[in-house]
Amino acid sequence: MKAPMKWLNEYTKINMPAEEYARRMIMTGTAVEGWENTAKFTNVVVGYVKTCEMHPDSDHLHVCTVDVGAENDLQIVCGAPNVHAGAYVCCALEGAELPGGVKIKHGKIRGVESFGMLCSGPELDVPSDLYPHCGEEGIILLKEEVKPGTDVCEIFGLGDDVIEYEILANRPDCLSVWGVARESATVLGEHFVMPEIAYNEKGKGKFDDYAKVIVEDEVNCPRYCARVITNVKIGPSPKWMREYLHGAGVRSINNIVDITNFVMLETGHPMHAFDLSKVREQTIVVRRAHEGEELTTLDGKTHKLTGEMLVIADKEKATGLAGIMGGEESEIVNDTASVLFECAAFERGNNRVTARSLGIRTESSGRFEKGVCAETAMQALDRACMLVEMLNCGDIVPGAYDNYPNPKEKKIVKASCERIRRRIGVNVDVEKMEDILLSLNIETELDGDTLTCEIPAYRVDIEGEADLSEEILRLYGYDAIPSTLMNGVTMAGKRHEAQSFNAGVKRALVGMGYFETQSFSFVSPKWIEKLNLSEGDPRLNTVVIRNPLGEDTSVMRTTLVPSMLNSLSLNMNRGNADAKLMEISPVFMPAENDGELPKEVPTLLIAMYGNGADFFTLKETVLCLLERYGLKPYVSAGGDNYYHPGRKALLTLRGGSVKLGQMGEIHPDVAEAFDMTARAYVAEIDITALKNCQLPIPAVKPLPKYQAVSRDIALVADEAVPAGDLMAAIEKAAGKLCEGVKLFDVYRGERLGEGKKSLAFSIIFRSPDHTLTEQEITSAMDKILKTSEKNFGAVIRA
Amino acid sequence: MREKVLEITNRTLEELKTCQDSQALEQLRVRVLGKKGELTSILRGMGQVEPEMRPKVGQWVNEARETIENAISESQKEIAKREKEKRLQAEAIDVTLPVNDRSAGSLHPMTLVLEELFDIFTGMGFEAVEGPEVEFDHYNFELMNIPKNHPARDAQDTFYIDDNIVLRTHTSPVQARIMTTRKPPIRIVSFGRVYRADEADATHSPVFHQLEGLVIDENISMGDLKGTLDTFARRLYGDGVTTRFRPSFFPFTEPSAEVDLTCAACRGKGCRICKDTGWIEVLGSGMVNPKVLEMCGIDSKKYSGFAFGMGVERLANLKYNVPDMRYLYENDIRFLKHFRG
Repeated sequence: MKAPMKWLNEYTKINMPAEEYARRMIMTGTAVEGWENTAKFTNVVVGYVKTCEMHPDSDHLHVCTVDVGAENDLQIVCGAPNVHAGAYVCCALEGAELPGGVKIKHGKIRGVESFGMLCSGPELDVPSDLYPHCGEEGIILLKEEVKPGTDVCEIFGLGDDVIEYEILANRPDCLSVWGVARESATVLGEHFVMPEIAYNEKGKGKFDDYAKVIVEDEVNCPRYCARVITNVKIGPSPKWMREYLHGAGVRSINNIVDITNFVMLETGHPMHAFDLSKVREQTIVVRRAHEGEELTTLDGKTHKLTGEMLVIADKEKATGLAGIMGGEESEIVNDTASVLFECAAFERGNNRVTARSLGIRTESSGRFEKGVCAETAMQALDRACMLVEMLNCGDIVPGAYDNYPNPKEKKIVKASCERIRRRIGVNVDVEKMEDILLSLNIETELDGDTLTCEIPAYRVDIEGEADLSEEILRLYGYDAIPSTLMNGVTMAGKRHEAQSFNAGVKRALVGMGYFETQSFSFVSPKWIEKLNLSEGDPRLNTVVIRNPLGEDTSVMRTTLVPSMLNSLSLNMNRGNADAKLMEISPVFMPAENDGELPKEVPTLLIAMYGNGADFFTLKETVLCLLERYGLKPYVSAGGDNYYHPGRKALLTLRGGSVKLGQMGEIHPDVAEAFDMTARAYVAEIDITALKNCQLPIPAVKPLPKYQAVSRDIALVADEAVPAGDLMAAIEKAAGKLCEGVKLFDVYRGERLGEGKKSLAFSIIFRSPDHTLTEQEITSAMDKILKTSEKNFGAVIRA
Repeated sequence: MREKVLEITNRTLEELKTCQDSQALEQLRVRVLGKKGELTSILRGMGQVEPEMRPKVGQWVNEARETIENAISESQKEIAKREKEKRLQAEAIDVTLPVNDRSAGSLHPMTLVLEELFDIFTGMGFEAVEGPEVEFDHYNFELMNIPKNHPARDAQDTFYIDDNIVLRTHTSPVQARIMTTRKPPIRIVSFGRVYRADEADATHSPVFHQLEGLVIDENISMGDLKGTLDTFARRLYGDGVTTRFRPSFFPFTEPSAEVDLTCAACRGKGCRICKDTGWIEVLGSGMVNPKVLEMCGIDSKKYSGFAFGMGVERLANLKYNVPDMRYLYENDIRFLKHFRG
């Protein structure tokens, strides 16, 4: 909200530079965003053109002698066609600064010296609603005969500092000049003086003779006040009013409209003026819209309304959106003769929903949705009438309409001084508390420790002791808050268990050269579709955001894969040679029942591409990671469709009963769909399963004392036999004495026959308590050969 | 005879000096000391020596053999040493050759900042807790004293799943969940991803991170809040850093305060980062609104508490000066490689 200093100073005294004022307001809770002077120039004064000759060396330039109120007249070269002797003009002196950073220096123009510049409206950025002639062709020719040397700001009504506030949501009472003036007075220790509101009701008859108001929805319109003005004379507003409106950022239209805007800015009460002749049967009806009813607002837009929306209607149809925007029909025009002023209070929730659903935001709706005090509506209307009289633009008809069925009772808040002190941690004595509250117009009564406070109606935010604590503390000064240590039991800080576990996993992967990524939790459903999942896959069923920013962020992800593929693709397409990435984030699976929250499943994704990346490098990472948690997964061919059909694996634990995840090379079709230019490898791991299955570090066993014996065998098997399975079977068959099995060669050749491969294993035997005998080893080898042949059809290579 | 032995000895010792490698040395040894060697052959020809001279000759030859053997052994050592040196020299590598394609790995900057914050707050006795990111309106708004159609909801443009479920707009619902299920004393920090309907640009992201703290106990005051945040500020940015409280408004706290920290870059002297104010706005905080306590089933006459919250991206930005917020979520490896931790 913007408020000109001059306007504020009508009601209180702010006798200090804007910077100091801003600091004091900020430190007591009123955010001052900044301040700006309404004049965008300096050092421009009224000049009187004494002589005006053609430039000797130009067909359009003039050489003028200008009286600027100084000892010597100035010679100024001017190119404007309308400059002439005897004109009063705006003269920028040497050293003047004009909008756009222009600095005026003396110089020579085609050989003739010039000591300043005569200015046009745009050169000074003077708005035409402040000075109507300034938009005309050429330089500004002042209509007034003003003493040369006078600062032109005085003529235009510029030069005031305008303070820009950011009013907090709990202080709608400060959304007005009176509001911030009152708050400033409290903060600065000054008085806030309201204007004395008085006017004569010169109009003939009484309100009811001219208009009728029917409020059908008193819930959404708790108060409706109206007045009628006759003999209206539409014209421009006086300079002071235009100046104030301009400072506050509102364009001057005409006296009646300006009065409604002025009152809104000054009192915080939005007003509306109806041309009574356009109101059918001179009857105003405040009602809900009919479902589907159409209304064209002042901005020329037509809206289709719903039954929840509150409208201002006449006998026939809706003519305005209550508290949001008036209708075109009853707009004030130049020949408007009688006016109905509306000053009402509309319920903020209803107002907000209507404004939002129609996408309209006005000064008025902004105020209503933050809360306008019904109590002071009539006062604001009176202020408008007073201005009508002051501007002499109409006659006020005796009597007002006022429908206020449920006036608010006086708000009394009781508080304990001791509890307030304990809350704020500052030892403020009772007298000081009462002083502060009084400065906020809160009348107090003290009984023992209890303060009984009468809260002014406009302070809708003060409801209890905590609110009073804040009022006392902010005006006493937040700087007084001491820095204390909490009393009470000491508490052991700790981390969330899953969070510590995840941190460990991430650190392990960082150690293996991976970089952690973070990607948005919402994705495009199209990205999930690109994964080519089977029909009925639960990941195709997503939690959908009702109001997404766009399709790319419209559903909660059910898998991290698309986000990761996008990250990989981005890196590939930006020419980054390789990347090793990982992320732990939840995926969101829709709840089974309506009204429940989706299930958030934390998932680990590891991915790589580029130099050295292949299935087995990734497998090494995965196995290394699992080994850190004491786990050795069962790896078998298989996995989702988005992996290469021949290069994907499932990872399970505990004999297949725990599904740990899957990994593989991304299917070329999917890679293409994600615009990936290199082969990429991805592993997905259920981090919760990993956490639940992890094994503790076992007790240390003595290191072996006896020699190990190793035996090599080469087995010929069908190509389809998985080496890992065969190896596991060998290890199992070898029994307790087997310390390990290594695959050291895979051979395929003509001599083996088509579809065959030879796998060469090295089996290491060792006993913890004796040197192995040949017999023990032979017996184990026999078992190995038998099992291999029986279960895998693998026979010893001839 | 004596002369002959001496001659062999001296000649051999002389020749030894010219031996450059172990092979030449061996040849010399064989020639002199071998079975058919010059010295050996003197012993072999002992038959022709007069018997009384034989012990003498034997002694001469043995002495000579010993001298030569010692000399050869010395030379051998010398040559072995030289040969090893030569080999080591030949094995020298250019240590300045580059290593290709290394990947040092790092946590994401968000995680790095969060870890630091956790260390600080767990060290101060706070327990870190988590809650769902897709959350009931009830916890996210209503229990935080932001009823439906309250204008404060405008400040937090919300993503809705349905009328009652939202993407949490702050981490406060985690606090609500704790307050409705635990009894004071409570001392927690909640953290994580939050969502607001802002288009992503250099300074906004629809997904970002918050960390909030909550303390509820008997006799908790605004001074305790300041004490806690002062400690936090010192741990984060070092001694001499302090806090400044400014009155503000949040629906869930009363009184409320915006908290500035001494600008860590200039230590409060004023610089570009703090726009010459010496302060950096970092936190929102306040005393938990008694209405919130009551809605969560905590007796507000007996208990009071404070809460504070901060944007983790903001802290990361202050720390690492990230020029564009989108960098944090697009995962360009060149950006990620900037970090180490």
